[in-house]
Amino acid sequence: MTIFDDLDPDWAWEPWEATAEDPWDAAKGAHLARRAGFGPTRSWLAKSTARGLEKTLDELFSDRSAFDARVYQESDQLVGAILGGQDPRQLASWWLRWMSMTPQPLVEKMTLFWHGHFATSAEKVVDVECMYRQNQLLRDGALGSFPYLVQGIAKDPAMLIYLDSAFNRKGRPNENFARELVELFCLGEGHYNEQDVQQLARCFTGWEVRRNRFRFNPYQHDDGEKTIFGKGGIRSGEEAVDEVLRQSTAAQFIVGKLFRSFFADEPAPPPHLLAPLALRFRETGLEIGPLVRRMLSSRLFFSSRVVARKIRSPVELVLGILRALDATVNYRLLADGLERLGQGLFYPPSVKGWEGGRVWINSSTLVGRANLIHALVNEPTTRFGGGGLSSWAGRAGAGELADFLREFVDICFAVSPGAQRIERLLEDAQDSSSGEARYRRLVGMLAALPEIHLC
Amino acid sequence: MLMSPRRSSRDSFSRRRFVTQALGMTGVVGLLGTHPLAASWLAPTLRQTSTDRVLVVIQLTGGNDGLNTVIPYRDEAYRKARPQIGIPEADVLKLDDDLGLHPACSGLMELIERGKLGIVQGVGYPDPNRSHFESMDLWHTCRHKEQRRREGWLGRYLADVRDQDEADVIGIHLGRDEQPLALASADFQVPSLASIEEFRLRVAKQELLRGILQGTGGAGKEDDQDDLMAFLQAGTSAALSAGQRLDEILGSQHDRGEFPASLLGEKLGIVARLITAGLGTRVYYVTLDGFDTHALQPKVHGALLRQWSEALESMMKYLGKQGMEDQVLVLTFSEFGRRVAENASEGTDHGAAAPLFVAGGGVRAGLISSHPRLDDLEDGDLKHAIDFREIYAAIIEDWFAVESLGILGAKYEKANLFASTR
Repeated sequence: MTIFDDLDPDWAWEPWEATAEDPWDAAKGAHLARRAGFGPTRSWLAKSTARGLEKTLDELFSDRSAFDARVYQESDQLVGAILGGQDPRQLASWWLRWMSMTPQPLVEKMTLFWHGHFATSAEKVVDVECMYRQNQLLRDGALGSFPYLVQGIAKDPAMLIYLDSAFNRKGRPNENFARELVELFCLGEGHYNEQDVQQLARCFTGWEVRRNRFRFNPYQHDDGEKTIFGKGGIRSGEEAVDEVLRQSTAAQFIVGKLFRSFFADEPAPPPHLLAPLALRFRETGLEIGPLVRRMLSSRLFFSSRVVARKIRSPVELVLGILRALDATVNYRLLADGLERLGQGLFYPPSVKGWEGGRVWINSSTLVGRANLIHALVNEPTTRFGGGGLSSWAGRAGAGELADFLREFVDICFAVSPGAQRIERLLEDAQDSSSGEARYRRLVGMLAALPEIHLC
Repeated sequence: MLMSPRRSSRDSFSRRRFVTQALGMTGVVGLLGTHPLAASWLAPTLRQTSTDRVLVVIQLTGGNDGLNTVIPYRDEAYRKARPQIGIPEADVLKLDDDLGLHPACSGLMELIERGKLGIVQGVGYPDPNRSHFESMDLWHTCRHKEQRRREGWLGRYLADVRDQDEADVIGIHLGRDEQPLALASADFQVPSLASIEEFRLRVAKQELLRGILQGTGGAGKEDDQDDLMAFLQAGTSAALSAGQRLDEILGSQHDRGEFPASLLGEKLGIVARLITAGLGTRVYYVTLDGFDTHALQPKVHGALLRQWSEALESMMKYLGKQGMEDQVLVLTFSEFGRRVAENASEGTDHGAAAPLFVAGGGVRAGLISSHPRLDDLEDGDLKHAIDFREIYAAIIEDWFAVESLGILGAKYEKANLFASTR
């Protein structure tokens, strides 16, 4: 019996509504921001608390036309400069910067989710532009239709290079992509058999990568009829993808993975809890946006069974803290630090992506997490709202150390370290240092507390 | 997907880091002090526990020339095959009337004399593959390329014995190079570390933090299903303690030990200190690259062998001083040996069978199994007598006391590595 077993699905997926006892407040807004994005900034939280859930969600699900085009143009220019180079880690630095400042954090959160789902590593692909084009594909389809994403990834040069599928010849079909398509991307283990994989592989013959571009080579395509999941008459790779996505397990598989990502690392929810979501997802042609919106506005999402039940990934942890302080940092330093903590963007550990949950945590990563935050906060080039941390705190109306600390805890911690611990840290900070150093040291200490890793 | 059966491992493994500390070490506080069960684990019977075993793997990347490492110095066929790069009889460090070590391996000689090093000769596998990648992948995963190779043998082992609630790192890859496939598992990722600094907390006040964590208060939900917080709490305490222990060891001149200033010397120095710091790590993995000696081999090969031999000897000596020599097994391997006949550029090309080395851990000292015959070659390469998976089987079953079938994918006979039944 787990905390999700006794839930009534009808209750769980009803939209959450504010009541007198359970009002919309900053804690709920911060929860939403941590899960749907990379944590709240101070001003975002004030705005969303005033606006209410509905309007906050409207903004989260808006497309880029709703925002200042100049922000996007500036970011695109940065990418342009990076694509001229040969270093995929520069791309990771750019992405982290963009995650921390984008007007559409949910889109980036979903892009990161799909990066883990369709995991592809620059370790093998090498080419920066290939990696970026895949990243853009995942961003374009982040909240769109799942079939669009899968059809795109099936022809994505980075993916095909990564899976040793840059050539696929008639008569000797390469099963690698076909197998991952069903096992990791669409259905999950146990929902297909070897026959299906072999037939699928035939459909993708003639799909090649030439000079880092996809091309269809009709001379190498096996145009015979294939039977997949009992359905005959399938010839092309596109038809094959469609047939895979027609399986009812596809919707369940994706809903389950989204639940784990947005709700709780553990325990796994029982199938009946997710069934209404999967059904609707299927009925609507696997449209991701409406599914995610329903999940993020549900009663279950805002319940105590979900709040603070996830372990923050390195990206979520560090960006959450930086955003809470309006901080800008040396993003290359950040990207390299996150890679050491196990989350190198564009360098997932395997085709399975990041496992997440407790796997993020061990004694070396715990020390590494605290050290990275300490280093970033104390780095001279780091700016808080454009200047020093103490003056930022002053402008934010939290000039007193105690106010600063309490506000930081409210924004950054999903669960408070408790009054006692906060009091002791405060006493010590007041005793031992002064001015700017005092604020920065305090953040470093707070980031070493175990509670910081929950979200 | 290839998965090994899950086994419950709570009994002996989860307490290993505590036991390490309890065994003959003063200042046991650190980790013990913070754990609620610490007192009961200090019971006298546990002092006799010796299931506290560590494996250190040293990978010689590129294909070590086994024939110039363990040398059949009296064999006419050796002289004939290696007119340019053969090691003169006078220089060989003699093991017996037929075989001896490369002159750069005096460290290994010392280990053999102390009964701490065993040399398994003629290790390989059927249908040897001479591609670095293919051969290395096979050594790492024990799976052929037709099968999927996502998990390594050590990754599978660690996934089996891992305790979900234990936040201590169970395996460590030391170095900035790409993480070896041997450590990969579907369930979790082993960290790669470049320096010991990555284990030391740099926040302003460690004592304060320790005090806060030991005190009451802190988050925690009422329902006991939420053990995530408990997991993080225990993990943070363990990390702090390991860091403190490291500080003590690094800070004390007496314990510093002497390690060669080489790449491998530094890595093994860190490994030795982490082991003695009582970290709950079962497998350490380091690599030394450069063994692909196609041209002008003698100088390069000698320098590499010296680096390896000195580093290994220093580590064993250091562990010996801490009384931990027998708790640590060190395995040194390479993806293949090299061709018997030298090539035209005073080098050697990719070969097949080669010797493999085991140190510490109560291994049988000296030469284990016989040298492959130079007059009975297969495509110009030495034939193997022992499958490397027989070595793995012995390590998994005799050293770690775990069933090897699921990890290796097939049942292999165990090589006879240890002096007595462990």
